[in-house]
Amino acid sequence: MKHNIYPKLAWTGIKKNKRLYLPYILTCIGMVMMFYIVSFLSVNEYLGSCKGGKEIQQMLVLGSGVIGVFATIFLFYTNSFLMRRRKKEFGLYNILGMGKWNIARVLLWEGVMIAVISLAAGLFGGILFSKIGELCMVNILEAEAVFSMSVEKSSVVTTMILFSVIFALILLNGLRQLHGANPIELLHSENTGEKPPRGNWLFALCGIVLLCGAYYLAVTIENPLAAMIIFFIAVVMVIIATYLLFVSGSVTICRGLQKNKKYYYKTNHFVSVSSMVYRMKRNGAGLASICILCTMVLVMVSSTVCLYIGKEDSLRSRYPRDINITVRRGSAEKLEDGNLAKRRAVVDDELAKYNLVPENILNYRIAAAVGLDSDGKMDLSSSSGYDFNEDYTNVWQIYLVPLEDYNRLMGEKETLEPGEAFIYATKNKYRSDKIQLGSSVVFEIKKVLKDFVDNEEDSMQILPSIFLFVPNYEEVLKQLSGVADYYGNQAFSERWMYAFDLSCTEEKQIEIYESLKSCLSKAEEEFRKENLSGKGIYTFSIESFASERTGFYALYGGLFFLGVLLGIVFVFAAVLIMYYKQVSEGYEDQARFEIMQNVGMTKAEIKKSVSSQVLTVFFLPLLAAGMHLGFAFPLVRKLLLLFGLVNLKLIILVTLSCFLVFALMYILVYRTTSRAYYTIVSGMGN
Amino acid sequence: MSILEAQGVRKVYTTRFGGNKVEALKNVSFRVEQGEYVAIMGESGSGKTTLLNILAVLDRPTAGRVLLEGKDVGAVKESAVAAFRRDNLGFVFQDFNLLDTFTLEDNIYLPLVLMGKGYEEMHNRLMPIAEKLGIQELLKKYPYEVSGGQKQRAAVARTLITRPKLVLADEPTGALDSKSTDELLDIFADVNRLGQTILMVTHSVKAASRAGRVMFIRDGEVFHQIYRGESTNEQLYQKISDTLTMIANGKSTVYV
Repeated sequence: MKHNIYPKLAWTGIKKNKRLYLPYILTCIGMVMMFYIVSFLSVNEYLGSCKGGKEIQQMLVLGSGVIGVFATIFLFYTNSFLMRRRKKEFGLYNILGMGKWNIARVLLWEGVMIAVISLAAGLFGGILFSKIGELCMVNILEAEAVFSMSVEKSSVVTTMILFSVIFALILLNGLRQLHGANPIELLHSENTGEKPPRGNWLFALCGIVLLCGAYYLAVTIENPLAAMIIFFIAVVMVIIATYLLFVSGSVTICRGLQKNKKYYYKTNHFVSVSSMVYRMKRNGAGLASICILCTMVLVMVSSTVCLYIGKEDSLRSRYPRDINITVRRGSAEKLEDGNLAKRRAVVDDELAKYNLVPENILNYRIAAAVGLDSDGKMDLSSSSGYDFNEDYTNVWQIYLVPLEDYNRLMGEKETLEPGEAFIYATKNKYRSDKIQLGSSVVFEIKKVLKDFVDNEEDSMQILPSIFLFVPNYEEVLKQLSGVADYYGNQAFSERWMYAFDLSCTEEKQIEIYESLKSCLSKAEEEFRKENLSGKGIYTFSIESFASERTGFYALYGGLFFLGVLLGIVFVFAAVLIMYYKQVSEGYEDQARFEIMQNVGMTKAEIKKSVSSQVLTVFFLPLLAAGMHLGFAFPLVRKLLLLFGLVNLKLIILVTLSCFLVFALMYILVYRTTSRAYYTIVSGMGN
Repeated sequence: MSILEAQGVRKVYTTRFGGNKVEALKNVSFRVEQGEYVAIMGESGSGKTTLLNILAVLDRPTAGRVLLEGKDVGAVKESAVAAFRRDNLGFVFQDFNLLDTFTLEDNIYLPLVLMGKGYEEMHNRLMPIAEKLGIQELLKKYPYEVSGGQKQRAAVARTLITRPKLVLADEPTGALDSKSTDELLDIFADVNRLGQTILMVTHSVKAASRAGRVMFIRDGEVFHQIYRGESTNEQLYQKISDTLTMIANGKSTVYV
């Protein structure tokens, strides 16, 4: 046999099956491209030199890992489709006298050709589009864009190595399958007899129970901290339930319909229902995968888009004013007004040098402790508030705020008797109408307030907070001074919050921030010297909205970018699975189509019945994904709360529009792939 | 009036590149009377299948016409052909053409469901047929769970349940072993005795020897016919064999 016959056979094999190979090669190219772009960005020097660039690059390294793993699994999966269809051809070669070794060489050539095409085109596309990726990132970081093309050699090498290994593994897997089969099996591998599908109602029931359980968890969750853990549990439950329901539940339903003779033996239902049983049995797993991929894309994209769009909101709740100063008490001594006034004078004097006055001032006292709630009784000593291994389901951050500070900040004229309090809770709902702090101090909750000023500590941490507005603040603190926390220190520690806006440019704000920081720490030194008794140790922190912004943008922008990128990769995958599903169904339905015609079904009847089935099967995953998304919504919202995103309207809007855009894309894919399907079914294909 | 009449049917195929014309049927005319059992024999390429396709309105003749109960089937509109076939003709195929997605029972019901019949009626029609064909026990099974002979009997049941004017069978015994072949031919004979008109295309001398009349086709023309008359199956078998031998030897006329 001449040697160049192998590449020739391999090439005609690919060309003849282009309906199958083209999407596969395109996916390979897409995967290579994506991987290169992410890997390029994660090592790109210019991006690293931008403010916040390093943080983004760390995230991108993770992202490239995810894409790498996903590419491996996914390319294997799609390749199995190809192998199934090619086996017949190989069986024929084998019977015509080609040894397994010869076929292996054809397979090898095929693998090499696909690998070379994918890598070359993928890297070319990757290098071309990496600049766009870089510009996007730079834009997210709000840095200067540079318009020079660059290629990262190390990324090219990593990409080549990774995908060469993947292609080699796929080839080996193909050879393994070839080795284990005899020619007759190869010839008939496509239509091995199928057992009658029997719906397993037990599995279906399990699926329903799991799904309901997961939905219940998602809907009833109140504490965002618990949401983190429950989110993962719910995700796993939903995945299992989706598979069970698609594989088994659907068959059970169809079986049930078949039992109903009046319904079943109608022209419209007869063929559809019975073929549906088969379709679902064969494609249940594929459909479930599509459904899960869709849900993943939707949740990921909508939440990262929310974060990105809402980043200004989150930033504002984290840094309520342009400059935010917190002064903490260092010992048991009280935060006296005199002490506060001295520090305030330092700040105001410094501002005066810039000819600025503090605007929109937030100025209030607050005392904080961590408490474990059991029916309105707060145990202040059992939770550290920091340990990650703790169960945080009932843990609250408790803030005591003087009622007069509340009245001043909010412009109210509320009065309360001693022993009464107003309450304002964030991230969670407080249910009891009483609250007991430690063993003795009890407040009756007069009113649940709807609003209070943003507190940077509250938005920073993931614990839900209770703000307790009390009339006789200093009295209460004195009563609580004996209560110890987890570490044995005094449970409540006092702070003074002083935050204000400045009407000047952000650069100026950063400059003022630096000088305020240095003069406050200098002043603190002097206060300490004046007060050698050691009782007056205060610590302070100062934060500037403007100087934190880039870091914030890097984090949220990075998440956004990764979310969209991974979204694209998963969509790629979902589209391809759909396509192969349609094509392989087309080949299966070809014969059935013919028989039905012989038995006397008109072409129009067949087409109607087939298209209604295809439609149902195709849009079932989208519907299920929409349902999953709907039930995941409360959970996602709680998680976004942890990021300081409270704008419910924004979240709903973004989630809805993500779903609509996705549905639109889905319909487009449906129209393209169903055309391929009809071509095959009506015999115009082969 | 004859149930089926072919008048000067001619079919010419043009090869794909337009050049060569192949005349599959030259000039075929015959009649089939109500209650007849006719076998059509001929070698591969003689035009049997083309003829059957034209009779089944799966294909249209180049010239001539086919009358079913005196009605020109060529006048049936393309869109109504499937329904026409469903309402008037029954088919038995060599490879059974049963759908794997249905039980045998549902396969048999398929044409009736397409006609919009209710379950009660379908069930009532099926029971006597299933009993006659001996497939009552198999109705809940799927095609891949039963033997070829059983599949073919189910296919026959599917054909008979519509009470067709004419059953067209295309090599019905082609994929069966000899025992199943005998059983099927017995069934055909029984059904015919009850008045069902059957037209069967076959290669098998044995199958043809059970018919009431055997028509030989060669090179696109009806070449010869044998009527059973008073002959037994064995005698008819002998006559058919002789005829085939003569055809194979290239005789242009046959005297039997």
